[in-house]
Amino acid sequence: MRKKLGLSAVACAVSLIAATAGMAKDEVKDPDAADAIKTESPIKHVIILIGENRGTDHTFGVYRAKGRHQTISNLLSKGIVNADGTPGPNFKLAQQFAVKPQPLYYIGAPRNAKTAYGDRGQMPQPNTNGAPSAQSVSGAPFPPGFPEAANQVDPSPDFGPNTNTILTTGATNLPAKALDTRVPDAGMLPNGPFVLQGLNISDDDYTGDMTHRFYQAWQQSDCSMANATKANPTGCLNDLFPFVMATFALNDSVTPAVQGNFSQGNEMGFYDAEQEQASTLKTLADRFALSDNFHQSFQGGTGANHFMLGTGDAGFWSDGKGNPVTPPANQIANPNPAKGSTNKYTADNNFSNCSDFSQPGVAAIVGYIESLPYRAEPNCAERHYYMLDNTNPGFFPNGFQAPNPATQSMLPASSVRTIGDALNDKKISWAYFGGGYNDAVALSDEAVAAGTAMTQNSSTAMGAAALADPSHELGVAYCQICNPFQYASSIMGDSAQRKAHMKDTVDLLADIKSNTLPAVSFGKPDGLLDGHPQSSKIDLFEAYVQQVLDALEANPKLKAETAVFVTWDEAGGYWDSGFIQPIDFFGDGPRIPLLVLSAYTTGGKVSHDYADHVSILKFIERNWKLRPLTDRSRDNLPNPRMRDDQPYVPKNMPALSDLWDMFDFDHAVKQPYLE
Amino acid sequence: MQQGRRLAGVGALWLGAVGCLMARPGVAAEFSADIVVDHSAPTALHVADQAVRIDAPTGYFLTKGGVALFVRPGKQMFTDARQSTSLTQWFIPVDPDSPCAQWRAAAMNAGVAGSDGEWLCEKIESAPRSRWRVTPPGQSSRECWIDPSLRFPVRIQMSDGTSLSLENIRPGAQSPELFTIPAGFHKLDPQSLIEHIKRSDVWVEPPPQ
Repeated sequence: MRKKLGLSAVACAVSLIAATAGMAKDEVKDPDAADAIKTESPIKHVIILIGENRGTDHTFGVYRAKGRHQTISNLLSKGIVNADGTPGPNFKLAQQFAVKPQPLYYIGAPRNAKTAYGDRGQMPQPNTNGAPSAQSVSGAPFPPGFPEAANQVDPSPDFGPNTNTILTTGATNLPAKALDTRVPDAGMLPNGPFVLQGLNISDDDYTGDMTHRFYQAWQQSDCSMANATKANPTGCLNDLFPFVMATFALNDSVTPAVQGNFSQGNEMGFYDAEQEQASTLKTLADRFALSDNFHQSFQGGTGANHFMLGTGDAGFWSDGKGNPVTPPANQIANPNPAKGSTNKYTADNNFSNCSDFSQPGVAAIVGYIESLPYRAEPNCAERHYYMLDNTNPGFFPNGFQAPNPATQSMLPASSVRTIGDALNDKKISWAYFGGGYNDAVALSDEAVAAGTAMTQNSSTAMGAAALADPSHELGVAYCQICNPFQYASSIMGDSAQRKAHMKDTVDLLADIKSNTLPAVSFGKPDGLLDGHPQSSKIDLFEAYVQQVLDALEANPKLKAETAVFVTWDEAGGYWDSGFIQPIDFFGDGPRIPLLVLSAYTTGGKVSHDYADHVSILKFIERNWKLRPLTDRSRDNLPNPRMRDDQPYVPKNMPALSDLWDMFDFDHAVKQPYLE
Repeated sequence: MQQGRRLAGVGALWLGAVGCLMARPGVAAEFSADIVVDHSAPTALHVADQAVRIDAPTGYFLTKGGVALFVRPGKQMFTDARQSTSLTQWFIPVDPDSPCAQWRAAAMNAGVAGSDGEWLCEKIESAPRSRWRVTPPGQSSRECWIDPSLRFPVRIQMSDGTSLSLENIRPGAQSPELFTIPAGFHKLDPQSLIEHIKRSDVWVEPPPQ
């Protein structure tokens, strides 16, 4: 081990000097190779930009569709709130409930066990959770002048003209885990959604995060066929959001003051786009196309949703060669309530074998899926323990394969086929551009050389490497679980594949500039810019998007044949009023926004066709004439046939749009993205 | 003009602060040179008044008296160098007759695991350059050549054959500004960034075993 430390240090020296040599190389300008590939539409490039943790009502809850004859389903259109964000005539449609203790985990609470919260602060109230209290030179928000000064010499995705001011603003000036008194009337908020806007709070402020995990999310959705109606044929009421957050980790024998109050009522916060909140996103929706029936594909969090985006499927614990094996006991979930608690999960872990109904928590979801009035299947293969919550890939960013994934708590190398594999088969160019990736590779190299990569989880090992090598500290902000290809043996286990397809944000901007953009590009900002509540802000993700759009704007030919999909990994635990179409054990979950920006998606159209992350795969497959990834992936689902009387509910459930309806390929309209 | 005054002020502050931390091994000459690792492109080195500057693609390293920093002009920030490069641990002024104390101190300041243990240092040649076989604790040995007039290592040969050497040594005065941290630069602490990122979904905490 110590011997390797010495080698590590030398490796660093060599890499620094080698990098110096690389900088001197002239930029190579290749022709746009993707132009030559025959496509179903005029679109030759897609760029999928993925933010973190924002829902549709949370972002566009107060938004009036700009396009002619367009309508949108949101808080305003349903009368839940008024245009100024105050409670509307139908505010009770959003009311939230508490549930009496139940013997087992449930996802459809018995009606007689539910009690609505009162309207004078009885609903769990918003709190600051872990949002930064003050400015810091070591993490956002930075002190005034710091990012601006940085930009004078070295513009970069993190410290650039779009972000240099807003990276300094938004500290709460409140203690952590305290009532968020910036929210007007906090402490006395009525039972329902509240606007994140007031004298002391806006979309430029850090706000408290909330837990958003698989079993919690299903429970919050409160789905039961006993609740089904014609307008809501799957019976998901979405009425247990604050309750689950307040109870899933609550030990009833300890007072909340002692154990902390978790994320409480943050789920019910929303922005008012009609009052200049999330204004970049609103402008894009006004000018291009927005889906108000696009969903996170997986109930819960980041890793599983990105995995579904890349594969149309769920990952599972394996022997690293594609054969399912049982993960360590500390990875297996048991959401049944602990004895004597209201709803405290017995073991809030990440994996379940959903083919075995005797496994804790499984029967509640599978029973519901099988009760649906259409042919939905759990899609749980025998003996497979599926990754339900965030688990780092079995590969480090540099391709090093964790030798002991069970003890390192990393998902063994995955054999699940990805869209990257399918594109490779057809020799269609693609890349994943992750913010901070280059630094993460450097940290991984050092973790390997130090020997920590042999025994530690990659977050831990790379964190230690960052402490030893602060010159690459931004590598800890690279999101490993956001990169579905980092799980895949076929990509990460092959150095040529890694070199060709695993890139940094700086490469995305350079490729756009040099006309070498791949046909299919996934863009993910680092943890400072991804828009995640608490660690980032919605306007920082807007700034990241704008930076990519500015680069495209400067290359009109490329822009003309590019479709930019702007979406999120999941709603982050934010409550949403939209219809949910459950497809299998894993999801769908609440709505998230999808914006499609191209010359063929203009005019402020709002699409109601049912869609989720896998719809983006379906678009790629249709445009480049690819087959569904596997015989069990969700991209096999048909396009929805939508009902006239219920425009959000497919006639032929389960069904997923390929997003073709959002385009009008007969009419190309040139217009700026934002100017 | 104002920037220039502040530059000098901060630089003096830094040099003064680190000066207290070191045991002076003797006065190294003032010079510049190229560091060449095997046959890679060279990187610039400057030495003056016991301070060392080593250039890097995104900034430069400054060391003096066991304190090593990495300065990033592009981002107007600096950090502890720690183990960002081994160069800051080996290319430092040393006593040609007893260099290991300085190398050991540099390794300890960089946080190299086990560096506070026993170092094996064997002088195997005295002239024209002092030549040492050095074995840090838990690491393989290496041979180091020290120029007695410069009081500075000029070549390090690792056991795996990797060679780090100073070439094109150019004696002469070095601009003091090369060794300063400009005014307004902030020091970043990676631990704070890690704590910030832990509040997001990027950081995945492994479950308790």
